[in-house]
Amino acid sequence: MIITQKRELSRLLENVENYRSFFLIGCSECATLCGTGGEEQVKELTGVLRGKGKEVTGGIVARTGCQVLGTKKELKEHKEALDKTECILVMSCGAGTQSAVEIFEDKAVYPTNDSLFLGNMTRFQMFDERCSLCGECILDRTGGICPVTNCPKGILNGPCGGMQDGKCEVSPDINCAWVRIYERMKKIDRLDEMRETVLDAKSWSKGQKPAALSTREKKEKK
Amino acid sequence: MSFRETLESGKFTVTAEVGPPKGTAIADMIHHMELLKGKIDAVNVTDNQSAVMRICSLSVCKIAMEQGLEPILQMTCRDRNRIGLQSDLLGASVLGIKNVLCMTGDHVSAGDHKDARPVYDLESVQLLKTVDSLNNGRDLGGNEMKGATAFFQGAVVTPEANPLEPQLMKFEKKIRSGARFFQTQAIYDIEKFRGFMEFARKFPVKILAGLVVLKSAGMANFLNNYVPGIKVPREFIDELKEAGKENALDTGLSITARHIKQLKDEGVCDGVHIMAIGMEDKVPVILERAGLL
Repeated sequence: MIITQKRELSRLLENVENYRSFFLIGCSECATLCGTGGEEQVKELTGVLRGKGKEVTGGIVARTGCQVLGTKKELKEHKEALDKTECILVMSCGAGTQSAVEIFEDKAVYPTNDSLFLGNMTRFQMFDERCSLCGECILDRTGGICPVTNCPKGILNGPCGGMQDGKCEVSPDINCAWVRIYERMKKIDRLDEMRETVLDAKSWSKGQKPAALSTREKKEKK
Repeated sequence: MSFRETLESGKFTVTAEVGPPKGTAIADMIHHMELLKGKIDAVNVTDNQSAVMRICSLSVCKIAMEQGLEPILQMTCRDRNRIGLQSDLLGASVLGIKNVLCMTGDHVSAGDHKDARPVYDLESVQLLKTVDSLNNGRDLGGNEMKGATAFFQGAVVTPEANPLEPQLMKFEKKIRSGARFFQTQAIYDIEKFRGFMEFARKFPVKILAGLVVLKSAGMANFLNNYVPGIKVPREFIDELKEAGKENALDTGLSITARHIKQLKDEGVCDGVHIMAIGMEDKVPVILERAGLL
């Protein structure tokens, strides 16, 4: 999921100081799990804005905020409130914010969160990053642990000289990705493969921005 | 004899290190180079060591040549992508730089520009492959070049790494990727180092033992606590303590000299790489005490 974090309220208020009326859009997926854009947070921000003398015309928790057409449909029944709104606040990720920008061509749209990373949820509201969406997966070569993401240097061929007792030179809170890969390869009896494999320089063109993908069959196109 | 010829002849080879300064004042650095001239086989020029921004290694290698020293261009993958690295390698080649030491490089979080974007488009193993490719007339994209490089390329290994096996696997990968010589992370325990050399001798590469000069017991403790891959045995810390504050540095120089002499006399490895870290002027004293001058 996409991990988000609330921005400083002062920054948000500075962003929107020239607007009087707001409509809030949360998201029932990642932002709800992150505690940044669920029912509770939409209610909370509504209260904060009203406390600052602002008008809040309404708000929803979109089912999937990055799904442009679906979100547009969900917003239809709020047309009246939206017509009276100057500014949309999006309480999900950068993708959700840009859905709103597409939907509301002539309204101001601001994010209430910073989007941090693609994360795994390890405990309630605890997340860590395991995949960088690099465009070309190498997990088949590295025992299922991604060094592009888990090693701060993204090294593809073994631990660097900064590894100390299995920890990373960047922080003792980081376990060396290559020691983890080594331990895993040992457990699944693939150490010989690890010794033999030299991974070539990665093709970063596979992750070139902005990425786009269509898997629609041609016949579906109108 | 060049650094490469010296190593390949089987003669015990000595390299030292010069760290380029931050800023354009290079008088001290040139003075250090003058002191080293004629006393060592080659000088490593570090590449923004510890991720602290300084004069680039390439320029200082050129200055070293003008001062009559043969440089080893240290090259990390932290600050340049594959285009930048290859371009600098070609530049080094036409300036007459013959040796390159390929490293991944300390992370920017260790340095003085912590908000910099770390590059790591390549890493040490891939940089070695790149040098090998340039030596064979092709760039990393497979494009043929007009004129190949002729580098003597080396790499780094940490014999005291814990756990050791993944480090040794990487050592093998570096050799398969073209490394011809290794300069090790600092070692102090010669007996343990012998164990590493037993493994390393299976491969057709030259090994120079890395030696970091101890200035005090405090520094030794710092290395043990904060620098990955370095283990200073208790006996040396005690020796430095007993020497007292005033004589600690002199004792540290003697310890390094003793190690050089032992490594050479007992034929443990092919040479030494002395990292004096800010005390380049003491290198001649060390060499004298080791019986190499």
